[in-house]
Amino acid sequence: MDDDAAARSEPRPRRTPGPLRLGGREFPPERALVMAIVNRTPDSFYRPGVTWDSGAALERVHAIVAEGADLLDIGGVPAKPGPEVTVTEEIRRLVPFIERVRAAYPELVISVDTWRHEPARAACEAGADLLNDTWSAWDPKVADVAAEFGAGLVCSHAGVALPRTRPHRAAFADVTADVLDRVLLLAGRALAAGVAADRIIIDPAHDFGKNSWHSLEVTRRLGELTATGWPVLMSASRKDFVGEALGVGVDDRLAGTLAATAVGAWLGARIFRAHDVLQTRQALDMVASIKADRPPTRTTRGLA
Amino acid sequence: MIVRAALCPSPPLLASGVSGQTLVIPELREACEAAVSWLLAAAPDEVTVVGPGAATATWPPDSAPDLSMHAPGLDRLPNRAPAPASALPPASPVLPASPVLPAPPLPLSLAIGAQLLDAVGYAGPRVLQSIAESASPAACRDLGRDLAADAPLTALLVIGDGTARRSAAAPGYLDDRAEPFDTVVEQAIRDGDLAALAALDPHLARDLLAAGRAAWQALAGAIAATTPARPRTRILYSDAPLGVAYLVATLDPTPMK
Repeated sequence: MDDDAAARSEPRPRRTPGPLRLGGREFPPERALVMAIVNRTPDSFYRPGVTWDSGAALERVHAIVAEGADLLDIGGVPAKPGPEVTVTEEIRRLVPFIERVRAAYPELVISVDTWRHEPARAACEAGADLLNDTWSAWDPKVADVAAEFGAGLVCSHAGVALPRTRPHRAAFADVTADVLDRVLLLAGRALAAGVAADRIIIDPAHDFGKNSWHSLEVTRRLGELTATGWPVLMSASRKDFVGEALGVGVDDRLAGTLAATAVGAWLGARIFRAHDVLQTRQALDMVASIKADRPPTRTTRGLA
Repeated sequence: MIVRAALCPSPPLLASGVSGQTLVIPELREACEAAVSWLLAAAPDEVTVVGPGAATATWPPDSAPDLSMHAPGLDRLPNRAPAPASALPPASPVLPASPVLPAPPLPLSLAIGAQLLDAVGYAGPRVLQSIAESASPAACRDLGRDLAADAPLTALLVIGDGTARRSAAAPGYLDDRAEPFDTVVEQAIRDGDLAALAALDPHLARDLLAAGRAAWQALAGAIAATTPARPRTRILYSDAPLGVAYLVATLDPTPMK
């Protein structure tokens, strides 16, 4: 655990708004991106096992690319508690698949959802462009791997939660302030480790070490995160805070997810991690059109 | 001396509004209010709420319970009763021989206890006492003895939770040791077996996230200081519907006439 006094004296850097670079791609600030989820697990929370078979997983990749996904996020271990997945097993679930995707889609940005440096390294060797560490740098070496390979890094907040644990009576004097402090601390450490500034992303990590009230509050105040200049990743898709807000199960959370997505996009979040790529792309394009960040696709009504 | 004692848990969702639009586990709330009402029916000189916290400390008795650390935005919702004009900002605890801390909030256990007293309309003197979750069994026993000596007729509202690892869906996931641990505690309460409470292993309790251990051991110390006999007890609720063990009980140390 951090020495609090030492951590207090570390910088909490902001960033001058600008492009986000991942892999060989450069994404301008106004462009909201869809990060499509493909889980290489038998037991993730939504549609468990649907992409456990590698053939099915590759089919899913074809589909999400066709639907307009900008990034692919591949994960080998579910976030919830359960049977242990060793580093060896996690690498087995990730690496051959990453190699196949990279071969089929040389330009697609590949993100890997991992919190341990060994799978992170193996994934980067196989061609991953971004390390999506949702457990708030539990392993500080993940940042070193990102720096070594010139990959991007997600700096996230998980409260006091250890990986694969649920929040038990999580409490914060000010959850948004706590999120900001943590993600900026990690951004500073990433810079110090040698990760390029234009490859760093921050993420409040909805529901990680936080209850639904906390996740709603962070969403409401997402503008405080986007104001830092760092690109903000919002991963809200079908999460429990949506389900608890509306009283619906995981299969019925699309509308609530898109509402949260629209609010996040309005407040300036840049990347949206989603199960439902087509609908998320449409929601983001609609918000961008309303914001005048994007011209409408085709306007002739009343204009002929 | 302790004239009556009651035991209640402290899930944040027991506090008003924290579970959202849906009243969850209403029977738990009913059992807690019944236990507290029974406590007050003895017309005590004062009610002492004792529950776990980060440190052992006595808190200002009019401290306002504040669940905003668990449910930010709850007090912004429409149709909420506005906070009473007399509600104080988070208060400093009175720590024996320690530096003054910058106003930490009332521990959850005491906030829930205070809310239960408010809910049944208790307006008499109250003492808010936290005991460090990590306090040794001996320290807990000694605190209990001190509380028993506090006033001629003290009613004790003890706030303590059992394990949080009762199922795969529990916040602490499943640990097979959890249910046997909770059963030992329930049986000890049922039998009025204070020695069994005093003998609970603090390391096992901590591993199983049973935050009430220190409070139960203070309870045992308080009753033991009042009477050598086993108290007569009733269990009003004992279950773990969300994977956390909640126990509601009454303990009557006065001898049968």
